Amino acid sequence: MLKTPHWEMMVVWYFFLGGIAGGAYFTAAIADNFGGSRDRRVAQIGYLLSLPLVAICGVLLILDLGVPLRFLNMLRSFKFWDPMSIGAWALGVFGLFTLVSSVLSFSSSESTIALRRKIGLVGILFGFFLASYTGVLLSATALPFWSDARLMGALFLASGASTGMAAISLIMFATGAGSGDGWGRVKKADRFSMIFELVVLAVFLALLGSAARPILSGQFAALFWGGLVVVGLLIPLVLEFVGHRMRAVGAVSAVLVLVGGFILRYVVVMSIQS
Amino acid sequence: MATTLAMFTDTSLCIGCRACQVACKQWNELGAEAPEWTGTYQNHSHFTDETFRLVRFVEQPQPNGNLAWLLMSDVCKHCAQAGCLDACPTGAIYRTEFGTVNINQDVCNGCRYCVSSCPFGVVAFNEDTGTAKKCTFCNDRIHNGLGPACAKACPTDSIQFGARETLVTKAQKRVETLKAMGFKDAQLYGADSNGFLGGLNAFFLLLSKPSTYNLPENPRLPQRNVVVDSLLSIVSAVAVGVGAVFAFRDRGKGDGDA
Repeated sequence: MLKTPHWEMMVVWYFFLGGIAGGAYFTAAIADNFGGSRDRRVAQIGYLLSLPLVAICGVLLILDLGVPLRFLNMLRSFKFWDPMSIGAWALGVFGLFTLVSSVLSFSSSESTIALRRKIGLVGILFGFFLASYTGVLLSATALPFWSDARLMGALFLASGASTGMAAISLIMFATGAGSGDGWGRVKKADRFSMIFELVVLAVFLALLGSAARPILSGQFAALFWGGLVVVGLLIPLVLEFVGHRMRAVGAVSAVLVLVGGFILRYVVVMSIQS
Repeated sequence: MATTLAMFTDTSLCIGCRACQVACKQWNELGAEAPEWTGTYQNHSHFTDETFRLVRFVEQPQPNGNLAWLLMSDVCKHCAQAGCLDACPTGAIYRTEFGTVNINQDVCNGCRYCVSSCPFGVVAFNEDTGTAKKCTFCNDRIHNGLGPACAKACPTDSIQFGARETLVTKAQKRVETLKAMGFKDAQLYGADSNGFLGGLNAFFLLLSKPSTYNLPENPRLPQRNVVVDSLLSIVSAVAVGVGAVFAFRDRGKGDGDA
C-alpha cells in the first residue's frame, strides 16, 4: 500500500560516508580545541579525511537523483522542517567548513591555529548534523519502522562518531606511528562512542518493540545481529579492552567498527524496501 | 485564493466500470501498463506512475458463502496538510490556488522523498522522466473551468466535483440517507477539515471502516517526527561530544600513547 522510495546502495554509501565525515570532523575539532598541540595529527587527519568524504557524499547524492542535472533545484527553497531540504544545504555548508579547516590545518602560525580552532567549533555543528539528519530523514516518512524509530537520528550520530574515530585511527595506523600522536586518545574516545552507541541501539530497539520486525526477523536479522551487534560493536569493544595497547589490534577493531557502521545503514535502508 | 475545490467520491454509487480510470489515462496521456493478477477484478494493485485513478475491488465474504464487492475509486487525496508537499526539497510540489496539490514536472529532480512521505502510497516514481508523478486534479482542466476527467466520465456520479464546502454538505446528507437505508457503517473519510491532515480535498464516502478499503484509520503527517527526533539527536551529540572532550582532556599517563 505505502510506497518505498527505491533508495539503494548509493544512499546507503552516502549515509555511511556522511557519518564518517561528520564524526571525523567533530573528532578533529575536539582534538584541536581540547587536546592541544600533542593531538595535532589527529586534528589534521580528521579535517583532511572529512573533506574528500563530503565531496563524495555530494556526488553520490547528485547521482542518485532521477534528474541529476537538476540538483541545484534543491537550493530553490529552504524548509527548516524538511530534513531533505536542510540536509542539502547543510552538506554544502559543511563542505566549506571541511575545506577551510583542511587548508588551515597545514599552518603552524598561532593566529591561524586560533582561527582554525574557532572554525572547528562551529563546523562541529554541521558535522553532527550531517551524521544525524539522515536518520531523522528516514523517521520523518510515512513508512513503518522508519517512522516509528524515534532514535534513528541519535543512533546514526553515535555510529557516525564511532566510525569517524575508527577511520582516523585506521589512517594513523596505516601512515605509521609517532610518539604522542594522540592514538590512545582517539581510541579512548572511540571506545566511549561505541559503548554509547550500544546503549542507544538497545533503547532504539526497546522503544521500537515489534515495529523493529524488518531488521529483527527475516533475511536481515542475521546481518543485524551478526554483522552490526557482534562483529561491528561487541568484538571491537572486546578487542579494545583486551589489547588496546597493541596498535594492530586497535586497527582490526577499527576496521570492524567501520564494517558495522556500513551494515547499520544497509540494514536500516534496505530492510523495508525489499 | 480561489474557492477550494474538491472531489467527492461516493463509493456507494460506484459500479466498478473503471470509466474514471480510463478517462484519467486518456486525458493525462498515461501509458498502458502490463496488467497484474491481483486475485480480484482490481487492476492494478497500487497506484503507479501511470495510474492516478484506481478502482479498488474489495471482496467481502457474506453469510451465505458468496462474496460481495465494496467498490471504491481511489485517487490522490490532495491533503490540506500534505506530507509530499512538506517533504519536497525543490518546491516542485506546490499547492494551487484551488487547494489542490500538484508536482511541477519541470522542477522535480527525482529525489523520491515525497514517495516515502505520502501516508496513502499515492506518489510514484517514473523511471523514464526521472520525476515523481501523481494525480494533478486535472490541473489544466480546472484552470479552464472544467472538472477533472474522472469526475466527468463517471456515469453514476460516484465522483463529484465542485466547491469543497458544497460537496461536504452534500456528502453529510448522503451519509444520513444511507444510514436511514440500513448502511450502518456509512461514513465520510477526510471530509472534516478539523480532522486528520486538515481534511482531504479528495474525500470519500465509505460503506465500511477505512481499513476495509486498506485506508489508514488515522493518517498522520510524517514531518510530525522532526522536532522530537532532532532533539534526541542533539542529546546524542552532546553525549558523544562530552565523551570526546573527556578523552582528549585526560592527562593520564599516556594511555597507550607509546
